Amino acid sequence: MVSGHHDHSTHFTAMASPCVVLVDTDHEVLAAEVGEIAKSEALRIEEKFSRYRPSVVTHINDTAGTMVEVDEETADLLDYATQCHTLSGGLIDITSGALRRAWNFSGQGTLPTQAQVQSVLEFVGWARIFWERPRLRLQPGMEIDLGGIGKEYAVDRAVDLAKAHSATPVLVNFGGDLRVSGPRQTGSPWWVAIEDVDRAGAAAGLLELSTGALATSGDTHRYVRDRNVRYGHVLNPNTGWPIAGAPRSVTVHAATCSEAGLLAKLALLRGSGAEAFLKSEQVRAWCVR
Amino acid sequence: MQLASKHAANAGVRQALAAAAAGLLASGHAKAQEAPDPPPSTIVDSAVLVYHEVNRVQAIEPEVNVSQKISEDSTLNLGIVADSLTGPTPLGAVPSTFPQTYVRPYKVIPLGTPVTVTTASGGSTVVIVPPPTGAKSQTLAASTIVPPNTYPLDHGFYDRRVAGHLGWEQAITSNFKIDGGIAYSKEHDYRSESANLGISQDFNGHNTTLSAAVNYESDLSFPIGGTPTPLTIMNGNWKGPDTTLHEIDALVGVTQVMNRRWLATLSYSFADDHGYENDPYKIISIVDPISGQPVEQLYENRPTFRRKQSIFLDNKVHLTSDVVSLSLRAYKDDWGIKSLTADLRYRWQIDKQFYVEPHLRYYTQGAADFFRYYLVSGVALPQYASADTRLAKFHAQTYGVKFGMPFSENTELNLRVEYYDQQGNGSPAGAIGQLQQQNLFPDLKAYTLLLGYTFAF
Repeated sequence: MVSGHHDHSTHFTAMASPCVVLVDTDHEVLAAEVGEIAKSEALRIEEKFSRYRPSVVTHINDTAGTMVEVDEETADLLDYATQCHTLSGGLIDITSGALRRAWNFSGQGTLPTQAQVQSVLEFVGWARIFWERPRLRLQPGMEIDLGGIGKEYAVDRAVDLAKAHSATPVLVNFGGDLRVSGPRQTGSPWWVAIEDVDRAGAAAGLLELSTGALATSGDTHRYVRDRNVRYGHVLNPNTGWPIAGAPRSVTVHAATCSEAGLLAKLALLRGSGAEAFLKSEQVRAWCVR
Repeated sequence: MQLASKHAANAGVRQALAAAAAGLLASGHAKAQEAPDPPPSTIVDSAVLVYHEVNRVQAIEPEVNVSQKISEDSTLNLGIVADSLTGPTPLGAVPSTFPQTYVRPYKVIPLGTPVTVTTASGGSTVVIVPPPTGAKSQTLAASTIVPPNTYPLDHGFYDRRVAGHLGWEQAITSNFKIDGGIAYSKEHDYRSESANLGISQDFNGHNTTLSAAVNYESDLSFPIGGTPTPLTIMNGNWKGPDTTLHEIDALVGVTQVMNRRWLATLSYSFADDHGYENDPYKIISIVDPISGQPVEQLYENRPTFRRKQSIFLDNKVHLTSDVVSLSLRAYKDDWGIKSLTADLRYRWQIDKQFYVEPHLRYYTQGAADFFRYYLVSGVALPQYASADTRLAKFHAQTYGVKFGMPFSENTELNLRVEYYDQQGNGSPAGAIGQLQQQNLFPDLKAYTLLLGYTFAF
């Protein structure tokens, strides 16, 4: 991340990603406060929707098959997930986490058999669940994973809370999904480096960002390599297999991080049609193949 | 079914996605806003001060300060203040069991102007002071009769002042700033001009700031009726020419972020004055050594130089949403005056749109070496003497409260109400004769009302 000389930064780890909050101000106390607010929100969301530690999500997954009543915020996210599912023709599906049971994206290993994938597919499909706000019931064996929309949601929430606290320009970056509250104090844009997909730590390009958010989807870090074919970790919930011909990474610019993240995933799910999709939707984006 | 929804997905999904994302975020606890307006480039601070001393002077003072961003690292500041001060003020003379008459010049008019003598408000009579030969103007003076056992006040007192300042602040690097300014102030018998220059350097990622500043001031005094010769008898005659006073002062300070909640500033300042230090309108009484009755009134005299030093410590502590400010100042000069100020404010943030800030201030001062309540007839005159109670030993407390309504980050309406109570020793030990039953330092009480409005665009 390239930043100006005025910035105060707060670093921490959340949602399995390095996070940084940049605040453009000379007032140390205020900058520390804003950083703390963003960090607290990230940790709160991580804890509330964690798939590993006791949380709203683990409770839902552990009691799959029974009716569960959820709180306002979780209900909002589930409504949002429903809209995403519809708008994407079923390609974005928060129940697709179960496919993980057949796949291991550590970078090496073998592809699963068709039978293995087929057996796991039984536990995938948002259409199979009962959702009538605020009541949710999964089929036994199913699970939900809000990780796909949670990080972008956390970025948006953190920026909104920071803006509510002060008008000081702020940039929130949770593992590469980022959003700015507006231009820097002087009116000039923030500088954002896009990581090279092959050389971690190297910049492939430099963007100027004055408003909105950036989200990146791709297989930069998680994939299966089999017979020199790289299979990305983005799986088609309908077939259970990775999307063919998908770009290595898609970075999208939109008004909010949630919107950018969605568009990036949708583009990726289009496989070889990613660029055409982004162009027809008139999205400002960059694909790396 | 799948095909149909795929079609739907293909057809312009972006709008719907944007709406879905907006819907998710709008229902959040924090209000999602549009991209914020760029930071304002102009901030205007306006205020009206109403000041009223009980039975003494009152003043009304409107003031405007404009801060304009010129470029990304420089700001221009312009300020104008006007005040109108009217009301009686102490002369420096002692009260008596007999009535007393004082003549005090208050206006110069061209020779030959017809003058109607009327009784001025406050119980003064206008007299005409005969001009010296060849002069083209004459002086109108206010003649005041002070009743017995009353602390003598000058009722002819009025003053109108206009002052302005222009300042420039420039960031050279993100850690180093310079600033400079000029100021000008004019009253009907006094003019002041000054220039200042300052630098500040940040360290430790803006956690520490060192600053230094110098200021040079040049004052011209042209009292009505001329400058009196010090320690001569008060009279209505034409007096001496204009006088000047020059002051240079320097300040060094350090501001430190002590921890996330506590900001502290420590500064030391030093000033050197040279020139005319007297108040041309203040007098000191010579009293009879037995009866204590005033016999003569002399114009006061102060040294023509003054060296001042002070140390100032300020602390701001940010509690959850409230702020506590505590400051201390210790001062001394080579006139023998030492003083201490303690100031405490608590800003109670009631909600985002309203705060209440109570304020307590305590001030204590020791007398100047040459301060005298009066002089004794027959005793050799000291080189310097003044009966101005502002140079005497006294304590003062201020109790106040400020109400603030911030409408946005740069817009605020506020009202400050303060009560000032000053007490001095009105019965000094060793007072002679009738002076033992007089109050030689009446308490001063004053009310201040300050209405302010800040806005930006």
